[in-house]
Amino acid sequence: MDRETTAEIERELDEGGIAAGVEDSPGMKITVARDELVAKLGVVSRAVSSRGTVQVLSGILLSAESGVLSLAATDMELSLRTTLAAQVEGDGAVVVPGRLLVDLARLLPASEVTIEYRPDEGIAHVVCGTAGYRLNTYSAEDFPRLPPVDAQLHAIGRVALLETISRVARSASRDESRPVLTGILVRFEAGKLVMVATDSYRLSVKETELDATAPELEAIIPARALQELSRLSPTAGAGSDTVELGVHENHVVFGTGDAWLTTRRIDGQFPNYRQLLPETFEVELAIARVELADVVRRVSVMAQRNSPLRLRFAEGELTVSAQTQDVGEAKESLPVSYTGEEFVIGFNADFLRDGVDSIVGDDVQVKLINPLRPAILVDPTGDFTYLIMPIRLAG
Amino acid sequence: MRAVGTILHADLDAFFASVEQRDDPRLRGRPVLVGGWVVMAASYEAKAYGIRTPMSSALARRLCPEAVVVEPRISAYTEASRAVFDVFEDTTPLVEGLSIDEAFLDVRGLERLSGSPAQIAIRLRRDVRERVGLPITVGVARTKFLAKVASGVAKPDGLLVVPTERELAFLHPLPVERLWGVGPVTAAKLHGRGIATVGQVAQLDRTTLEFLLGRASGRHLHALAHNRDPRPVEVGRRRRSIGSQRALGRSPRSPDAIEAVLIGLVDRVSRRLRGAGRIARTVVLRLRFGDFSRATRSQTLPQATAETAVLLVAARRLLTSALPLIERRGLTLVGVAFANLEDDAAVQLALPFAHASCHFLDAALDEVCERYGANAVTRAVLLGSDQSPAVPLLPD
Repeated sequence: MDRETTAEIERELDEGGIAAGVEDSPGMKITVARDELVAKLGVVSRAVSSRGTVQVLSGILLSAESGVLSLAATDMELSLRTTLAAQVEGDGAVVVPGRLLVDLARLLPASEVTIEYRPDEGIAHVVCGTAGYRLNTYSAEDFPRLPPVDAQLHAIGRVALLETISRVARSASRDESRPVLTGILVRFEAGKLVMVATDSYRLSVKETELDATAPELEAIIPARALQELSRLSPTAGAGSDTVELGVHENHVVFGTGDAWLTTRRIDGQFPNYRQLLPETFEVELAIARVELADVVRRVSVMAQRNSPLRLRFAEGELTVSAQTQDVGEAKESLPVSYTGEEFVIGFNADFLRDGVDSIVGDDVQVKLINPLRPAILVDPTGDFTYLIMPIRLAG
Repeated sequence: MRAVGTILHADLDAFFASVEQRDDPRLRGRPVLVGGWVVMAASYEAKAYGIRTPMSSALARRLCPEAVVVEPRISAYTEASRAVFDVFEDTTPLVEGLSIDEAFLDVRGLERLSGSPAQIAIRLRRDVRERVGLPITVGVARTKFLAKVASGVAKPDGLLVVPTERELAFLHPLPVERLWGVGPVTAAKLHGRGIATVGQVAQLDRTTLEFLLGRASGRHLHALAHNRDPRPVEVGRRRRSIGSQRALGRSPRSPDAIEAVLIGLVDRVSRRLRGAGRIARTVVLRLRFGDFSRATRSQTLPQATAETAVLLVAARRLLTSALPLIERRGLTLVGVAFANLEDDAAVQLALPFAHASCHFLDAALDEVCERYGANAVTRAVLLGSDQSPAVPLLPD
């Protein structure tokens, strides 16, 4: 375990969270419906750490108290918590290997599952019908205390929040060497929610009108956490029109009805995106979105191994082509309202496809300066902008 | 076809035996056999007794009773080979390794940067001798085949440049055995028809040769005898990097001084990278310490680049992370290599927030260096320091 992680765990231990006070008691014994257990394990299992540097983080914390079983998992960046109704015969808490529990729960034969943990032997017994398992466990005391969720919460329109995430998330970077870019800049301002993401090759900005008043917030939130929220919310939060949001100094809490997601905020300065968006263009034209998307998709088949897509703009026509050495080439044209001198601009096929797919209206507004400057795709409504850096083509 | 021969065939002479002679002065000048039951390699002194490889050690000893037989040390050969390939890759990014001791190099486009192919070949031989301590023979020609023939003729420890206009005059008097693909069986067939030289093969028409030797073989020899070999030098998957290094001597240096050396290396190697029309995704920092131990640190970038500024940021980061190690053990050599090379035919441009994009600055500086020499423009931090490429005592 590296020093930073240790320090982090200790700090969170000091803060004291919801798991505070949970200690190994004489024995935990609960009985739950199998299907519900499987569903709830599915909710928290995404936060189970896969890195294995801190063993207890590969587990799911089960804690039983007054008729409720709570489940929690965290990888120290993201945590997920949920509860389910249980027949509790003994209070207590234990950390069970996450992957293992998820896998075996799916296969259990009967509709009711009993989980019993006796601290003296350190073993969790899972019994379902005539099937029985004995699982080695980790101590609940070693599980990090998760941030509290009782801070002041704001209700945010669920659809607005999720739609905003889905439009920008693809542009976030997966390169850990620049942590700021693995996050999404989230800002609430005067009745609007704004999210920005960039991996330095493309940049997405989405502005969404909000009905209710929003909290004051400008934070860089890991894109991964927001994507987990999207995954979680349509099912877990079904029926609820809002997502609860709590903002803290170092983390943010989202509540979807019956699950809580907390995520660390990323420190650092997000690039000044307004400065990066050009204001004047040489070429502006509207292209039918579905047609463009189809052409790009078909031609992309031949843009393998980072080969660029070539977009040739000529009088009234756009020709998209791609060529991969030793594989072959593709070419397709579509009519566009372009007039002027012919020119060619190159793009990464995935980046262009992501951009066109992020547009919602009938037309994509395409704005270009020259083959070496950023290009912009804009939604007809004007509330979504996708900037894409070209590929410099030889010759 | 190219008008000027830019293909080098570089072949280490009696490779294993030469490494043994390099490492043990008592073996120098003496017939040396490497191997156990079978002779894997023989020094030129041993070959003079008619020893060939492979040959049983017993027979070899009968031919040359005073030969010294040494056990093979594969790890030493591997290391020597790697060092030689580093020299190859410092010479040009277009290196096609054929085996542990042999490669094709294409030096086209390096004229302004490194000189004529002949000059490059001379320097390559000198670099291998100085950096690795081994003799190497180089053939230079317009085709791979002819370059290989030339090195075969020039062996040992030689250099042969075949001028474009002298290709056939050089090729035709050679015995047919020099043709690629002519082994004892084919040679016997040709000799049976009174054909002894390449020139005689060239006089036969293709159908006659195909009839004589079979279709594929006949066509192949026909093309070679007319010096038709369109195969380009293909960069193998083995290793693709371009780099340079500098020995620092034993006196301790401050982190600032080490960084200045690093900057000089990155400047120079990135210029070579651009000169070769390539971009790199991985930056490798190589270090050698006072106790001769080594360390390698590398970082892979999200997108390939040839921009000095981007490569320098990565190299600096690697150096900074290695500073505690350097402090403890003392640095005697620092090297920078760029790996994961791609053609610069298509370069993904990035938004300029991580650094100011230096594409145009690089191009302008390259132009100045090309026109007025590598020292015409330099960084303030490098002023007054000796940035001439130094030859390290030991290869990296």
